[in-house]
Amino acid sequence: MINHLIVGPLLLPLFMGTMIILNTNQPIARRRILGLFSCLAVLVITIILLFQSVDGPIQTYVLGDWPTPFGIVMVLDRLSAMMLCITALLALICLAYAARGTDRQGKNFHALFQFQLLGINGAFLTGDIFNLFVFFEIMLLSSYGLVLHGGGGLRTRAGMHYVMLNLVGSSIFLVGVGILYAVLGTLNMADLAVRMAQAPAENAALLQAAGLILFAVFALKAALLPLCFWLPDAYGFTSAPVAALFAIMTKVGVYVILRVYCLIFSNFAGVGAGLLNTWLLPAALITLAAGAAGVAGSRDLRRITAYLVIMSVGTLLAVIGTFQREAIAAAIVYLPHTTFMTAAMFLVADLIGRQRPDAGTGLVPDRPVGQPTLLGLLFLTAAVAIGGLPPLSGFVAKVMMLTTVKDSAGAPWIWGLVLGGGLLTLIALGRTGSVIFWKLLPADDTETARKTAHAPVPVHAPADVFPAAVLLVISPLLVIFGGMITEFAFAAADHVINPVHYIEAVLGPDRSLPLLLSSGGE
Amino acid sequence: MEWLVSACFGVMIACGVYLVLRARTFPVILGLTLMGYAVNLFLFLTGRLHTNLPDIISGSQTQYADPLPQALVLTAIVIGFAMIAFVVVLSLRALGELDTDHVDGHKENPPS
Amino acid sequence: MTLALIPLLPLLGAFIPCIFHNRNLNAVSAGLIAAISLILLLLQVPQVFTGDMPVYTRDWIPAIGLSFAFRVSGFGFLFALLVLGIGLLIVLYARYYIAKEDPMGRFYTYLLFFMGSMLGIVLSENLLLLMVFWELTSISSFLLIGFWRHRADARQGAFMALVITGGGGFAMLAGFILLGHIAGSFELTAVLAAKETVHAHPLYPVTLILILAGAFTKSAQFPFQFWLPHAMAAPTPVSAFLHSATMVKAGVFLLALMVPVLGGSTLWFTIVTTTGLITLVFAAYMAMFKDDLKGLLAYSTVSHLGLITLLLGIGTPMAVVAAVFHIFNHAAFKAGLFLLAGIIDHETGTRDIQRLSGLKKAMPVTAVLTLIGCGGMAGVPLFNGFLSKEMFLAETLAPGLTGAWSWILPVGAVLAAVFAVAYSIRMLVGVFWGKPAQDLPRSPHEPPVGMTLSPAFLMAVCVLVGIFPAFFAGPLVHAGAGAILGPDMPAFHMAVWHGFNMALVLSMVALAGGAVFYRYRHRLFDAHVWCSRYLDGKTLFESLVSRMVQAGNHVIRFLENGSLQRYLFVFISATLVLGAIPFAVSKTPLLGTVAATPLDPVTLIMGLILIIGAVATVKTHRNRILSIIMLSTVGLVVALAFTRFSAPDLALTQISVEVVTIILLMMALHLLPPTTPKESSKARRRRDGLLAVLAGGGAAALAMAILTRPYDTISDFFLAYSVPGGGGTNVVNVILVDFRGFDTMGEITVLAIAGLIIYALLHGFERHAPDTDEMGRPWTKDRFPMILVNITRPLLPLALLFSAYIFLRGHNDPGGGFIAGLITATVLTLQYIASGIVWTRPRFHFDNHVIMALGLILALGTGLTSWALNYPFLTSTYEYFKLPLIGKFEIASAMAFDMGVFLVVVGSVMLMLVKLGSINSEDARTVSTSVLVEENLEKETH
Repeated sequence: MINHLIVGPLLLPLFMGTMIILNTNQPIARRRILGLFSCLAVLVITIILLFQSVDGPIQTYVLGDWPTPFGIVMVLDRLSAMMLCITALLALICLAYAARGTDRQGKNFHALFQFQLLGINGAFLTGDIFNLFVFFEIMLLSSYGLVLHGGGGLRTRAGMHYVMLNLVGSSIFLVGVGILYAVLGTLNMADLAVRMAQAPAENAALLQAAGLILFAVFALKAALLPLCFWLPDAYGFTSAPVAALFAIMTKVGVYVILRVYCLIFSNFAGVGAGLLNTWLLPAALITLAAGAAGVAGSRDLRRITAYLVIMSVGTLLAVIGTFQREAIAAAIVYLPHTTFMTAAMFLVADLIGRQRPDAGTGLVPDRPVGQPTLLGLLFLTAAVAIGGLPPLSGFVAKVMMLTTVKDSAGAPWIWGLVLGGGLLTLIALGRTGSVIFWKLLPADDTETARKTAHAPVPVHAPADVFPAAVLLVISPLLVIFGGMITEFAFAAADHVINPVHYIEAVLGPDRSLPLLLSSGGE
Repeated sequence: MEWLVSACFGVMIACGVYLVLRARTFPVILGLTLMGYAVNLFLFLTGRLHTNLPDIISGSQTQYADPLPQALVLTAIVIGFAMIAFVVVLSLRALGELDTDHVDGHKENPPS
Repeated sequence: MTLALIPLLPLLGAFIPCIFHNRNLNAVSAGLIAAISLILLLLQVPQVFTGDMPVYTRDWIPAIGLSFAFRVSGFGFLFALLVLGIGLLIVLYARYYIAKEDPMGRFYTYLLFFMGSMLGIVLSENLLLLMVFWELTSISSFLLIGFWRHRADARQGAFMALVITGGGGFAMLAGFILLGHIAGSFELTAVLAAKETVHAHPLYPVTLILILAGAFTKSAQFPFQFWLPHAMAAPTPVSAFLHSATMVKAGVFLLALMVPVLGGSTLWFTIVTTTGLITLVFAAYMAMFKDDLKGLLAYSTVSHLGLITLLLGIGTPMAVVAAVFHIFNHAAFKAGLFLLAGIIDHETGTRDIQRLSGLKKAMPVTAVLTLIGCGGMAGVPLFNGFLSKEMFLAETLAPGLTGAWSWILPVGAVLAAVFAVAYSIRMLVGVFWGKPAQDLPRSPHEPPVGMTLSPAFLMAVCVLVGIFPAFFAGPLVHAGAGAILGPDMPAFHMAVWHGFNMALVLSMVALAGGAVFYRYRHRLFDAHVWCSRYLDGKTLFESLVSRMVQAGNHVIRFLENGSLQRYLFVFISATLVLGAIPFAVSKTPLLGTVAATPLDPVTLIMGLILIIGAVATVKTHRNRILSIIMLSTVGLVVALAFTRFSAPDLALTQISVEVVTIILLMMALHLLPPTTPKESSKARRRRDGLLAVLAGGGAAALAMAILTRPYDTISDFFLAYSVPGGGGTNVVNVILVDFRGFDTMGEITVLAIAGLIIYALLHGFERHAPDTDEMGRPWTKDRFPMILVNITRPLLPLALLFSAYIFLRGHNDPGGGFIAGLITATVLTLQYIASGIVWTRPRFHFDNHVIMALGLILALGTGLTSWALNYPFLTSTYEYFKLPLIGKFEIASAMAFDMGVFLVVVGSVMLMLVKLGSINSEDARTVSTSVLVEENLEKETH
């Protein structure tokens, strides 16, 4: 019995997106309902898939019923299941937020949103490297549309940088894929891994070059230094729900790095073995440092949050960069936390900014926000979670990461930068909170106040705040169910770190044999 | 033959890179297009060079060119086209928003 | 479970007070919660005082060693008792202290929040759990210090406290993780038992220093002492509770807790003792010169914390006993004194010793209570402070100390004691004696009884303990110290009179010296004034923070300079370097073994044309029209190359895409500036040129590398199964619509998205095209030349027929949905170009959105049909039919899929081109009429 659910997260957004196109000229309410329904349905499906994956084997879905490695195959292991689930939940929340008015600022928002979902999910599911390229393009093109949604000079300029960098990136991606095919003669990732393990020595340099060229592209997607400078503007100037949704986009890059370099260039991959073992950690640590500098140095909450995204990427990849099972498990615990919390911070920042007519999200005194207690509570929660303070999820993730990398070579650096970065985050967010909520302009006797005295600050309806609140509630839940989550993370890390599982699931046990032999039995 | 084709590929990439590094949107678009052509050619080359071996199955024919890269290139061409079309329009929109076709929106020495 | 409830009740119940709007209900609810967990605590007395330790453990996150575990050791009990006991008094006091205009509910919420966190610290059985509560206290103290948000000093004080204690917390977390791993467990009981292992471990020094950093920051030990005085911006009840009695003692609590496992090494002795001594003397000295009552008490607190730290540094059993005893005593008299300072402030309107004097007539009760408190603080006999301080002096004289320590410690101790006496006298006499002050903001009088009760109770404790120590404090100190020391708990007897000994002498010296100091204080003040400026860490801290912000700002300004050119340069060179490294490091050859095929002149010429075209595109890129033409030649040659190397499908596609792309560029150029200004410097052009050449060279090398290598591919499968499996002889097409149909699915989605975005970007976007070219020559007014019109209109049906043919043969011969779609779109566009939108639009008024969507649905539907037969998505089937005239032909499900492709291509390309064509303002007007309809529909929903 084929498990058609696996392609659900792809076909459903595609279909609903199309339906939304058909409703282009209908009242917007209809498109909203379609979009929200789609996200909800995808969420349900991904939750089912997640539970299937928890104690099930790696599932595959062969499109067109052609035998692997000839047809295109979707692969659902624990990690991809988790990524799908995170994406679906985040998407639903962001769309709910956008449906409060952001989606009116331009055309075709809802259709693009669905295709965005399609692209991201495809990148998580596909087991074919060229198909990965296709899904990247879907993801990027829709993201271009969403970044530019609403228009405006700053947004357009930031969008243009983002677009052009990624267009060059796409070309480079194709070159990398081309080399792999030209030497190994296949596109299926599992098959690539097997053939890589058997590749003769004279192809070593060429194959490694392919791997590193691809790494450059993935690094651009993940926003790894020195390729991360498109991010602060793009995320800082786009509309809040889009920025929040994009908290997952960098993680797509992280996921693909984890996938490709633990499978095709895994430690058992012969000439390509452990390609990134020397590269990833330093790059990630520098990224972490730069992100921290940005967090400390920015004077606007949106930009601070954008740099927090860079920091979280640096942290993730630094931990992954040790390529140890436990560390990867820790990264898997950290990933949902950082995704949801940075997204939440984007939404909270927007809520705050909309009630500070003069200063917006900038770190300058303004009149008090309309709902100080509510917004203050939301901000405090987000800040505590992101700052890695107990009792929220950031603390658990941080402890687990520090614990698991303890014995790796780079441990002192990771510890230093993660803790130091944490302190900088604490300082930056402490400053932000005290300026925005405490350091107020005297209500009346100021120029700005008199100027805008007529314009009362908008009061947020519960429906405006609800999405952000839901995101924040996730954090304590991640802590309360921390036991289960960490267990799951270790199980997921098992599948990731040991490619043999993946290859067996895709090609069958006999094909994975050569890899086992080349890895000396493992 | 291989030398020539590689050279062509190299030249296209070189020109593409140079154009992409210009300061105005239009040359950047030219560069991206050129790179696109080049990469399609490269992808095609991954099937190696074959003369007079079309991929139409017929009894008489025993040898065929590698069809897979061709299929990939087709997909790549289409996607590339979509991207170029988009970036062209984006450049127009940027011109409208920023009132200059400089990639960073700089206004100094405005377009003639 | 009751154990867990003790801290959890205040934590979870914290929100309750702020739901009431009545000040009494605020206070009562808070008081009740505190009282309940106090009762729960007292239930543990029987066990604790018989020396065993109730423990409650549940697993939480085993992966990181975090468990939900609580313990009530004697020491923890002592602290919990202080927290809840004093806490209750504070709740009572605050009811009268907090002004009407302040949000009292919020105050009590924060207070309970803190109470719970603090209880968590002292009752945790698990190191990480302790850490959790530890940071929670930092957060709650941040909120409480900043309670009067409108005051700048409150904001700064809160921020400073958060950063210092929070930062220390991070260090301590690191230390705990190390300690836990050395000890092999995070359960305190196990950790405390692992002294040998820990001391033997190479990481012991690091661990110790990290943990001490946490403890010292929290307890405001030198050089971190400066945050505490500035925390005094908090409401006085908070200062009394957090910043003298409990929270700041969390640091010394942790030290005491760690004595059994970390203590006993020279490193421990040196660091802790030195820090303690410096803090003790320095802070006592500073306290003498504070005019602000709370400032004086703050420094005195720091000094006393230093005293306790010093004792724990010495670490002998009796020292520990003294430390525990002093923790208890200090909490009692210092909290009381703060509350009294609060009363004075509240009733007179100032806390400035310079202004206050002679209050004893107006406020006799307060005066007496203050007398008791100062007695304790100065260590006067019959007050509790005297006993513990004398034990302390005795310890500094202990024979165990060798070398310089044997005289430094006593001297330091006595010196500090002298200062302490001096500032105690100053506080008491300065405020209550002398002639009554006149110019006070309010006329002083006794406060409401409720406000006096709390300090009165505390002072009573001071006296009772001072006179009957064995009875009132003995059991507690026994239990507390016993929990730390375990077996080597010394036998001791607490009494007022120990007989005449050295410690007593020193005490007397201190009292006398203090009196003298007070007598001649004015000289000291003059001496002090000049150095006082440099002794406050606040300025240093703030300059540090602002400098850090500056630095961060510079870094990102430097890195993220907003120049796309630089980002691209970095990206491309990074890729280049990454691609080159493997060849650089490994000795493997670049080229493979396969021999190059011979070169024929035709190909050579083609190649040369291509190269020339590419270079020309660069050369002419300033003259935009010209460069487009050059570019198109490149595209065409690439297409020819595809035909040359047996890829007819590619050739067809390339050409049709080529055509549409050029049309697009031309349309864009109609609106863009026609020329590119010369602006990049020669140096930059050189730099870019170099990178371009390198990139090109690298690319060519890669191409050569793969062309000369053998490979075996999975393609044989496609060739083998194309006809039997896919039902088509054109393998490329079968791959596209069948073997890798999913790619095509994605590909057309990309097209559709592009259509959507372009539509969105250009929606309502108008731009007037220039009437003249760059040389000022006017464009022709004849926008639709007759010839073009006359050619294109009849061309249309033919072209459509042709594309239909291309489509149908696609599955078996070069062609297919995509090419057919492009051809159709091109000819339709040609109509727009030739006859203009005004003529064309009414003639093809189908909505391109819909065509696109239908195409997607068709493709999707084709794929889904296979579900019915329980095959995976996109599984294809085909059947041969015999029809008269046409003969045998085939219908493959893949063709329906291809039809979908066709529709999407037509729809999206039309969407782009028509929208693009209608930007130009003249045409736009005519188009916008049709757009208006959508607009109105939009509006209705708004």
